[in-house]
Amino acid sequence: MKINFNRREPVYVQVIRYFKQQIATNMFEPGQEIPSRRELAGEIKINPNTVQRAYKEMEEQGLIYTEGNLPSKITQDEQVLKAVREELIMDAVDEFVATVQPVHAPFEEIITLLQEKYEQAIEGKGDEQ
Amino acid sequence: MIEVKDITKKFGRKQVLKGVTFTAEKGEITCLIGINGVGKTTILNAIMALTPIKTGEILIDGEKLKPATFNHITFIPDAITVLPQMTIEESMQFMKDYYGTWNDDRAQELLSFFKLKPEEKISSLSKGNTAKANLLLGLALDVDYILMDEPFSGIDMFSREQIADVFTSHLIEDRGVIITTHEIGDIEHLIDKVVLLDDGVVKKQFYTEEIRAAEGKSVIDVMREEYKS
Amino acid sequence: MKSYLRLTEFELGRFFKFYFVLIGLTIVSQLIGVVVVSKGYMSEANKAIFQEGMSKQTFIEQTGPISLLGWMNSIWFLGPIAFCIASLLIYMFLIWYRDWLGKNTFIYRLLMLPTQRINLFFAKATAIFAMVLGLVALQVLLIFIAGIVLEWMVPNEFMSVMSITDLSIAFPYLHTILPATFTEFVLYYSTGLMAVFVFFTAILIERSYRWKGLIFAIGYVALATIFFMSPFIVSMISEEVSLYPLEWLTVQIILGLIVVVASVVVSRYLLAKKITV
Repeated sequence: MKINFNRREPVYVQVIRYFKQQIATNMFEPGQEIPSRRELAGEIKINPNTVQRAYKEMEEQGLIYTEGNLPSKITQDEQVLKAVREELIMDAVDEFVATVQPVHAPFEEIITLLQEKYEQAIEGKGDEQ
Repeated sequence: MIEVKDITKKFGRKQVLKGVTFTAEKGEITCLIGINGVGKTTILNAIMALTPIKTGEILIDGEKLKPATFNHITFIPDAITVLPQMTIEESMQFMKDYYGTWNDDRAQELLSFFKLKPEEKISSLSKGNTAKANLLLGLALDVDYILMDEPFSGIDMFSREQIADVFTSHLIEDRGVIITTHEIGDIEHLIDKVVLLDDGVVKKQFYTEEIRAAEGKSVIDVMREEYKS
Repeated sequence: MKSYLRLTEFELGRFFKFYFVLIGLTIVSQLIGVVVVSKGYMSEANKAIFQEGMSKQTFIEQTGPISLLGWMNSIWFLGPIAFCIASLLIYMFLIWYRDWLGKNTFIYRLLMLPTQRINLFFAKATAIFAMVLGLVALQVLLIFIAGIVLEWMVPNEFMSVMSITDLSIAFPYLHTILPATFTEFVLYYSTGLMAVFVFFTAILIERSYRWKGLIFAIGYVALATIFFMSPFIVSMISEEVSLYPLEWLTVQIILGLIVVVASVVVSRYLLAKKITV
């Protein structure tokens, strides 16, 4: 587990984003146990209180849940999982649009490029595997 | 909570502390930052009554320091505080003899955590291992507050990393930590709170996560602003 | 109390190697001394009797019989004593300064022990005092042994046997470290302990106020000395004040106790509030 932190953004926000990415890409499976506060803090070398804050926030957002004294787990709530996935895609698309739009390229050209690149990416991944 | 209230201190004619006020909470890592010679060490010494202050007051959990307070607070200076001719084991025994708060289990754990050999003499340890042994002797005490003076300075990168790992581990538990540093780089993400010192006063104290959330600034950004003005 | 005893043991342990050297040096030097001195005397006697034809009686009358006094007047006896005194005097300062100036600043540790800091003061004073008494006891033993050695080396008719009390009365140097009576012994060594307290306080004044403190420290020593010696000073200045010996002693004891208490009170305050690492 490795996170490159941005020094100007709250670390707990970055931890939550990392979890969302892992959930959206199925690296964290629904119902999977997550590391304890100390374990995660040690692994990514951040303050345990910051991890605590991220976990609290994630619990409130329904991304993780805790039963009794057991370790926290990734949510199994389909709706939340779907929302996480959508949010991640939306964020990426927003960013993409924000970058590309000022270039004033025709929309069809962008779509074509996007399709090519996307297919290449899938193939590339296929080759790797 | 450790409360430092408007303390002043003079060395000869030089006013080193001109009214320093800040607090450090249990369960948090508070970092005193300032360029060298700004009086960081003096503040830690003053908290431990290792040097007198001219005016002001220091309270530890609401009380002034007395001998029994050393069962609640410990200070790890930048140099090791046991005799060079002692072995690590002997220095551990020395601590155990005097401190009812010595925790043998944690001491053993720290030994293996730092990969230190108990039979080695303090005087024959490398700089990095001396720093680790120094830390071990303080961390093995079951105290609520630990003060550390420049735990990262003057040692090799790997020792630094190992020491940084202590801060995220259960070896610190939920104790209150105050550390001093003149270099925030390595430890920016390890600390809760920053107390910026300059010219004998606290320029600013803030929680790192809050300054990032509210102003989108890194600790270094804040330092640049404060030291420029 | 537990910490005080531990600290005392610890302080003794820290000086023990050197202390053993002092003990060894004293034993070796003084025993060699008794042999050398008695051999010297006997060779003189033999020379006088066998070469110059003097009778034993005449020799003894002229040179005097040999006693432990001859040995005590030699460098073999006085040398190690002077060396031990000098060492312990120096160590009285070092016992504090080594904690500040040593390679590892041990004073941090000592001042952070969860015990009254004045225990450091008492432990160090006890250690010094115990080492002094140890050397005194050794000296008594060595005088006793030297007497036996002397008997072996010298025929009885040349010897004048003296007890430690006789020796102490006859030999002022010895009297200083081994007074003839027990009361004197207690008084001398109590005064010594008082002096240790005064010097320790002076050291702590210096350690608290550094350069400025050095002046105060010297001032404190001077003040304590004048105060303690005031009966002598007063009696020197005016002859009207005259005290009976017992009165004099009582006044002296009271003054001494005041100096001791003042030193402890000042040191306690300095250690708690003013000391600086």
